[in-house]
Amino acid sequence: MLKVENLVTEYGAVRALDGVSFTAAKGKITTVIGANGAGKSTLLRTISGLERAKSGQISWADKSLIGKAPESIVRSGIAHVPEGHAVISQLTVAENIEMGSLFRRRNHRSDVKLAIEEVYELFPRLAERSKQLAGTLSGGERQMLAISRALVSRPKLLLLDEPSLGLAPLVVEQIIQTVNDLCRKSGLTVLLVEQNANTALAVADYGVLLSLGKVVANLPAAELKADASLRAAYLGY
Amino acid sequence: MEQFLSAVFAGTASGSIYALVALGLVLVWRGAGVVNFAQMGQAMFSTYVASTMIMNGNSYWVAFFAALAVGTVLGVAVDLLVMRPLSGKRSSAMLASPAMRGTVPVIASLGILGILQAAAGMIWAAEERGFPAPVSTLGLSIGGTVMPFTAFDLFVIGIVLVTLIITTIFFQKTGMGLAMRASALNAEVARLSGIRTSSVRTLSWAISGAASSLAGLLVTPSANLSPNTLDLILIIGFTATVIGGLDSLPGGVLGGFILGLVISFVNVYSSPSDIFLAILAILLIVLLVRPQGILGSKEVRRV
Amino acid sequence: MFKHFQKGNAIKSLIFFAVIFYLGKVFDPYNQGQLSVVLIYFVGILSITFLTGLSGLISLGQGALMAVGGYTCALVVLNLGLTYWQSIIIAALVSLFAGWILGITAARLSGPYLAGTTLVIALAIPSLATRFESVFGGDVGLSVDYGTPPEWLSGAIGDIGYEQWQLFAVLPFATIALFLALNILKSRTGRSWRAVRDHEIAASLAGINVQRIKIFTFVIASGFAGLAGAMYGLRGIVGPSVYPVSLSLALLTGAILGGLRSITGAFFGAALVVFLPDLIDKVTGSWELASQIGDYLPAMVSGILLILTVVLNPAGIAGALHHHKPRHK
Repeated sequence: MLKVENLVTEYGAVRALDGVSFTAAKGKITTVIGANGAGKSTLLRTISGLERAKSGQISWADKSLIGKAPESIVRSGIAHVPEGHAVISQLTVAENIEMGSLFRRRNHRSDVKLAIEEVYELFPRLAERSKQLAGTLSGGERQMLAISRALVSRPKLLLLDEPSLGLAPLVVEQIIQTVNDLCRKSGLTVLLVEQNANTALAVADYGVLLSLGKVVANLPAAELKADASLRAAYLGY
Repeated sequence: MEQFLSAVFAGTASGSIYALVALGLVLVWRGAGVVNFAQMGQAMFSTYVASTMIMNGNSYWVAFFAALAVGTVLGVAVDLLVMRPLSGKRSSAMLASPAMRGTVPVIASLGILGILQAAAGMIWAAEERGFPAPVSTLGLSIGGTVMPFTAFDLFVIGIVLVTLIITTIFFQKTGMGLAMRASALNAEVARLSGIRTSSVRTLSWAISGAASSLAGLLVTPSANLSPNTLDLILIIGFTATVIGGLDSLPGGVLGGFILGLVISFVNVYSSPSDIFLAILAILLIVLLVRPQGILGSKEVRRV
Repeated sequence: MFKHFQKGNAIKSLIFFAVIFYLGKVFDPYNQGQLSVVLIYFVGILSITFLTGLSGLISLGQGALMAVGGYTCALVVLNLGLTYWQSIIIAALVSLFAGWILGITAARLSGPYLAGTTLVIALAIPSLATRFESVFGGDVGLSVDYGTPPEWLSGAIGDIGYEQWQLFAVLPFATIALFLALNILKSRTGRSWRAVRDHEIAASLAGINVQRIKIFTFVIASGFAGLAGAMYGLRGIVGPSVYPVSLSLALLTGAILGGLRSITGAFFGAALVVFLPDLIDKVTGSWELASQIGDYLPAMVSGILLILTVVLNPAGIAGALHHHKPRHK
C-alpha cells in the first residue's frame, strides 16, 4: 500500500503540496481530484521522484521513496504515466513500449516478451501501428501507448495523470474501463489523477479531494460522489 | 582529367576523416545533448600518448588500442567532472534561461579544449610528432599506373564505413542504443521508464571519446601532430554535422565526405586560402536552405 | 527618457577616465602597455557582455569583428589619409554594418549552431586577408604610423613615453565606450534584450520583435568589437597574427571569468586575462619551472578557471561580489 504523510513540495516560494496525507489501498483504485492548480500532478510527480519533496514521507510496501531517483523508483514497481507528453514522438510505437521494458531485460527476458504481447492484446490498435512513429498517432492512441509503456514494467502501483486530457469521451471511457479491468484482474494498485471527477469517481474505490495543496476530503468514492456540497465547493458542479 | 581524379581521391580520403569526427560529434549530441568542441583535443591528447608509446618501442596496434582507451577515459572524465555537475546546477539564474542552457556546455567544452592543449604542451613540449601508418602510404599501382590514393586511404575509408555501420546498428537495434536515443530525446520519459539516463549519457561520452581518438590516429600520418593541428579538423567536422544533420549519424558521414571533396576541389582548382570562405559559404547556404541538414530530422534543430 | 541616468553614467565615466589616467602616470612602462591592452579587451569583452550576457547569443567570432575594425581603421588611414580619430569612428561605423550582416545571417541560430558558425566566421575573415594580399597585406598585415603625442598634451603633463601614449590614445575611446554601455544597459533596448534572453516566447507575446532585437544586438556588439579592434591597431600593426582565433576565445574567457552580465564584470575579466600571465609569473617565478611547463601554465590556468567558473560560479567575479549587495533587478 502507498502511504503519504505530511508531504510538502515547493516550487520556489509556492507550496504546491502543503502537508498532504492519505493512503492508497492495495489493489484498489484511488482517485485524486480537484480543481486546476490543486496540486494533483505535483503529487504524482513527487511520488515518482521527478520532483523533490521538501518534507514529509512517502512509503510503498513499507519502504521509503523519499530522495530516490525516478529510475530507481520505477524499479521498485511504481510506474508513472505523466500528463501530456508521455511518449517519445520520434520513436516508434514498438520502441516506446520496448523502452519501458529495458531495465527488466537482463533478469526477466521471457517475462518481458510476455508483457509486451499482453500489452498488444490489450490495445490492438497499437499492434496495428507498431512500426509507426509515436508522433503520428491520435491522442487516444498516444495515451494507450503511454499506459502500455508503463505496464510492460510490470508495476504494482500505477500513477495515472489526467488520462482524459484532450480526448473524446468515448476514448476516455475505453481507456478508463481498460484500467479498471486491469486493476480488478491483476490486483494492480492505481492512483488516478483526474480533472473529470465524474469519470474518475465512476470507477474508483476511494477519492482524495485536493484543494490548493491540501487534502479536503478522503472518502470512499461513493460517498464523495454523493456529497453535493463538496462537489459544488471544489469541483464546480 | 588527372587533376580531377586526384582531387576526387584526395577529397574522399580526407572526407573520411571528417566523417569520423562528425560521427563523434553526432554521438555526443544524440547521447548527451552537447556539442563537444573539445573532441579534437581529446583526439590530439590520445594520439600523443600513442605516439609516445611507439617511440618507446611498442607496436602500432598496441599503441592504437591504448589511444582508444585514453580517448574513452577522457570522454568519461569530461562527463563526470564537468558535464554532470553542470547539468546538476539548477539554482543558478544564469543557466535557467533556455538560450544559455545550450550555450554553457559549449563554453565548458572550449575550456576543456584549452586545458587539454595546455597539458599536451606541458607534457610533450608541443613537439611536432610524426606518426606511422599501419599500411602502405604509397600510391597503389593498378595495372601499372600509380593511382593518386594509397592503401592507407582505403584503410581509413574502410574504418569509417565500418564504424558507421557498427554505430548505426548499435543505435537502432540494441537496447542500450534505444536507451541512449530515448535519454537524449526526452530524459523525463526515459527516466520514468527506468532508464538510468546519467549512466547512458556517460556511455555516449565514452563511445564518442573512442571515435574521436580513432579520427586522431588516422589523420596523423598525413599531418604532423602538434597541440593545434587538429583544431581545423574539428571546425570542418562540425560543419560536416551541420550539413548532414546534427542528429544523423549517416548525415554526419555524408557531410564529411561532401566537405572533403569540396575542400579538395577548392585546393586544386582555386587556392588554399579560399578554404575557409568555401566552408563558410556552404555552412551559410545549408543553414539558410535546409537548416536541419540533409539527413537531419525537422524538429530538433534549435537547442 | 535617457536624461536621468545619463548624468550618473557620465560621472561614472569621468571617474573611470581619471582613475586610468592617474594609473597611466604612475605605472611603469610595461604595465602602461598592459593597461592599454586591458582597455582594449574591456571594450571587446563588452561586446560579449551584450551578446551573450544580456541576450544569450554565443559568438566565438568577436575577434574577427575586431579584425574588421582594425583593418578598416588602418586602410582608411593609409589610403584616405585621415587622422586616426576620424578613422576610428569610421571603423566603428563599418563594424556596425558588419554586425548587421552577421546579425541577419546568425539571428535565427542558437546554441551550438551559432557557436560553430561564428567560429567559422572567425576563421574565414582573417583568411580574407591572405586571399586579397594586395589590399590587406597578407600574412604580414599593414603597419600604420599613428603619430606622436600632440604638443598640447606633452606640454600639459610632461614627457610622454611610448607605452604611455598608447594608453592615453586609447583611453578616451574606452571611456566613451563605457558611457555608451552604461546607457544601453539601462535603456529600453537593454531590457528588451534581457526579456528575449530569459523567455523568448513571452517576449514576443509582449510585442517585442525578437528577430529584429537579435540583429540589433549583433549590430551594437560588433560596433564595440570593431572599436576595440581599431584601438588594438593603434599599436602600429594590423594583421592576421593580431586577431587569431585565440583572441575570440580569450574575450569569451574574460567575459565569463569576470562576470558575463555586468560592465564591471567585463572590466574584471579584461584585467584578469591580460594580467594572468604576469600573476602566474610572480607566483611561480621562484619555483624554477621548466620552460615547457611555464609556457603553457597561463593557458592551463585560464582553462581551469573557465571550467571552475562555469560549473561553480557561473556569474563570475562580478556575480560573486554582487551577492553581498542587496538584490535588485
